[in-house]
Amino acid sequence: MSVEIRGLNVTIGGHAGSARGGSGRDGSGRDGSGNAVVRDVDLTVGDGERVGLIGSSGSGKSMIAKSMLGLLPRGARATGSIDLGGTEVIGASDRTLADLRGRYVGVVFQNPGTSLNPVSTVAKQIELPLRLHYDLTASERRDRVMAMLDKVGLTADMAGKYPHELSGGQQQRVGIATALITSPKLIVADEPTTALDSIIQRQIVDLLVSLVDDAGASMLFITHDFSVLARATTRCYVIDDGRVAEEGATADLLASPGTPVARELVGSARRLTLSAVGSPAVSSTVSSDRGGAR
Amino acid sequence: MESEGIGRVFAALRALWRRGSGRYALIVLGLWIAVAIVSLFWTPQPLLATDGYHVWAQPSAAHPLGTDGTGADVLSWLMAGSRTNLVIAVLTVICSGALGLLLVGLMVSRSAGLASTTVAVVDALISIPTVLIALLLTVPFGASVGVIVGACSIAYGLNLARIARPSAMLAARSDYVESALAGGASGWYAFTRHVVPNIMPVLTVQLTISAGTSVLAEAGLTYLGVGVGAGVPSWGHSLSTSVKLINVFPLTVVWPGLVVTLAVVALNLLGDAFNSAMDEGSL
Repeated sequence: MSVEIRGLNVTIGGHAGSARGGSGRDGSGRDGSGNAVVRDVDLTVGDGERVGLIGSSGSGKSMIAKSMLGLLPRGARATGSIDLGGTEVIGASDRTLADLRGRYVGVVFQNPGTSLNPVSTVAKQIELPLRLHYDLTASERRDRVMAMLDKVGLTADMAGKYPHELSGGQQQRVGIATALITSPKLIVADEPTTALDSIIQRQIVDLLVSLVDDAGASMLFITHDFSVLARATTRCYVIDDGRVAEEGATADLLASPGTPVARELVGSARRLTLSAVGSPAVSSTVSSDRGGAR
Repeated sequence: MESEGIGRVFAALRALWRRGSGRYALIVLGLWIAVAIVSLFWTPQPLLATDGYHVWAQPSAAHPLGTDGTGADVLSWLMAGSRTNLVIAVLTVICSGALGLLLVGLMVSRSAGLASTTVAVVDALISIPTVLIALLLTVPFGASVGVIVGACSIAYGLNLARIARPSAMLAARSDYVESALAGGASGWYAFTRHVVPNIMPVLTVQLTISAGTSVLAEAGLTYLGVGVGAGVPSWGHSLSTSVKLINVFPLTVVWPGLVVTLAVVALNLLGDAFNSAMDEGSL
């Protein structure tokens, strides 16, 4: 599924029209009638393309993702245009958005520990989009859940477990399974590795990329870590203070970042990678988190 | 799926039984339900049987708890009254729970206007006492069990909404609800399937307290003349008919008073036992 975002503005606590006026003198983006958190963003994702959205914390990355899903927090307002495979999201009805979400767009969240319902079993969480969008029998849903568990590297006995019985990596695999159970055409991964350690990060990114490629889906991968982005995407946008600061092929941006914010993010990623490689303790602890619940 | 549900009920009962307060509550509630069922088929004396020669009689073999001012058997009326009070308690829990959840759902809705309006309405209405609601309902409907259930449901539903709102707000703003919405769930679906199960501890405790308070409310409202209709057996009715001569025949007041106290304490302790069992993760 292709994504085409044109002139997207998101403001919190005011009218979006005023957001075009730019930020206040303090650089906070606050003006007289609201706080502009996303400003005049243009972004495209082609069919089957894996595109990254990178920026420091609070730069507005997640707000762009939430705008795409029609899940902006209360008091936030988006203007501009977001076209998801021919459907205009801004101004769409709740029914249209609910039909789009889960069926055509899957979302992987940042913190798997909090994005899974603590009182639902793994199987119930994964089958939710199926239950909502498809008229399947219980046994058909169960078969699909079991197949999906296998795909994401979890054993069948995980189906009856609750989130607190799983490790962080296992929880994120459940999150990925939930996002992919309906074979959506677009995956929005909102910092899916931030809450995980570096080894599990790599496993999750590789899993996500292989599943997305196998399904022929597009992916918008949001992160603040260039080392993760390089593994997950081919093209990326650097977001700074709600604006697109730079865009291009991920490899090119990593080799020669053009803006100060991109240079800072690349520099941080290199320092982290070097320290990880230099530590024998880290390099010797590579293991799979398959099975072995907490 | 059904056996899983039955298994959960038994697990919950076991968790409650392990606690002293839970054990007391289960025994009293079990007795209450058993007596209510038995009274459908049998009471020591027919309810309408009166003995004008033995009014305010002391306990005897024929009348184990004595008789009241009309010569009716106190035990028979208390047994039959347990049915009425059980119905009032169950209906109050169901109706106040439904009203409370509806209001909580509106208060945590994504529509800021709807949410703030509901909060304002709840805050305004919660100041109206149960007795006044019952009096207002009695005007068009007359004194009846329905009026007690209606008054208790409105008052306790509002209270439930106010108490459950903070927990519901936390759940409604949680990542797992956003995850459900991102999966295509509607706001109402996310509320009923994701928010409500996560605020069950608050709901359970509050609803058991509501059940207990409905027993007290029935007694109070019936005493004031806006409770169950005349001739309908209830614990409040037994109290109100005997309380006028409490100084002369105190024993006839003691029995219904004792039953009301035992039931209310049992329901409150059940709430406490639920709470501690859920805190420990036993439920």
